Amino acid sequence: MSFLAFYTVVVTLGVLSMGFQLLASRLLSPHFGSSIIVWAWLISTFLAAFSSGSMLGGWISNLAAERRHRAQVTGAALAVISLAVTAGFGRPILDWIEVAFLDVGTALLVSCALLFFVPVTALSSFGPQCVQYLAARDTPPGKASGIVYGVSTLGNIAGVMLTAFALIPHFRVSALLYGWLAVAVLSLAALLHLLRAPASP
Amino acid sequence: MKPIFPLACLLLPAALAAADSADYTESFDTLYNSLTVQKTGSVVELRARSRRGEALESAVDLSDPLRLVVGYTQTLYAGLLFQPKPARVLMIGLGGAGFHRLFTAAYPTALLQTVELDPTVLELCESRLAFKPTAQTPVTLMDGRVFVKRDQGKWDWLILDAFRGGYVPPHLKTEEFYRECAARLTDRGVFISNLHMGTELFYSDIKTIEAVFPQVVLFQTTGRGNVIACAVKYRAPDITDPGKWPEVATLMEPAFAGHLDLAKVRGERMVEPWADVLHARVLTDDFSPVEFLDTVKTNDTKER
Repeated sequence: MSFLAFYTVVVTLGVLSMGFQLLASRLLSPHFGSSIIVWAWLISTFLAAFSSGSMLGGWISNLAAERRHRAQVTGAALAVISLAVTAGFGRPILDWIEVAFLDVGTALLVSCALLFFVPVTALSSFGPQCVQYLAARDTPPGKASGIVYGVSTLGNIAGVMLTAFALIPHFRVSALLYGWLAVAVLSLAALLHLLRAPASP
Repeated sequence: MKPIFPLACLLLPAALAAADSADYTESFDTLYNSLTVQKTGSVVELRARSRRGEALESAVDLSDPLRLVVGYTQTLYAGLLFQPKPARVLMIGLGGAGFHRLFTAAYPTALLQTVELDPTVLELCESRLAFKPTAQTPVTLMDGRVFVKRDQGKWDWLILDAFRGGYVPPHLKTEEFYRECAARLTDRGVFISNLHMGTELFYSDIKTIEAVFPQVVLFQTTGRGNVIACAVKYRAPDITDPGKWPEVATLMEPAFAGHLDLAKVRGERMVEPWADVLHARVLTDDFSPVEFLDTVKTNDTKER
């Protein structure tokens, strides 16, 4: 049962990460258009966040138990708070950035860094910890890594398709961002609970 | 399977003849579009490839540059019925600059500022469609919405004719964008938008424009699915009563002779599809499923 819950959470985190990229493009386009420049900054930001999150998560997964738990809670809190900021204040922040930075490249850099980099980094940091979770439960590390990133990538695909073809056509972007926040709270709470459970001897 | 071969035999000569009739056909994959430029005789066409096939964006007759080859560019002049003295015009979307030549010939002192996102479109206009930007017809390479946000000028006409592969980017279809456009119009300025019939998006387009502009008049280009929406930000005087429109003769400029039939344009006025618009949703920055609505066909499926 716990493995079913585990894989459900891994898929959900994948859905959240890549679906968020499409929502981000909708958030940016009224302010900066939808040119290739916007997409270049957006994709680069998400890849930078995936990279940073993976390295951060790898470091956290090797901490001593007590510090690791604290780091996990901090990471989850950071993800939730930063998603809440994007959902609640994303548009006013973009209004401000648009006026404060006349150069579109600089404005996009600041926008992406403030609104998308932190939540995606925080979410991505749980990838290596999920690998550690499986590895601590008799799955060889290489296999654990393959399973987690394979399942997570399936979640990425589901996130993109679901967001593009089912959610954006029927719901407001602001409502979807709050939906993302709610799902993140639930899935991260479940994941923290799973990660705290002792590994079988 | 059998009928296919004879049918192919019948169609092949026609297809070859059509291909042969073109002087040249060139394809360009740009940052934003897949474009085809085809010259047949003196007419150069600019087409954008989309999922519906190739959409004719613009065309120019090099032997008669003032000729409005594509029908909707004539209908754009419906703006004259509501603002007869366009001294400052902002056009979002360059296309093949099919509109520009007659306009500058008719109004040589007017400013026609164009905003185009795709640099290759401008290059093709200059190299293949014989359009050269001047001080009267400057072209700025920028996203249309970003330009409108940063622009401090006031415009007599603001023409929205921006397409990317046959569809308009969602952020150029929203209530908030139209409010930004309205803010850039002069008191008696007119907002002119090129819309496409045939999908649910058309009704949302109209409803969204009406959410911002108190008065909207629609003109359907004869024989095509283009509808030109003319909208103003004032409630009085009434522009929806054709009886109060200026006489066509008073709007004619010498350059229009033989090139623009304003009486025909005036007659293209269409009745708003109230019942369908009533049920459509206003598009906003928060909710603009343009790509989705553009795939939902209506019962009216005239060629686009």
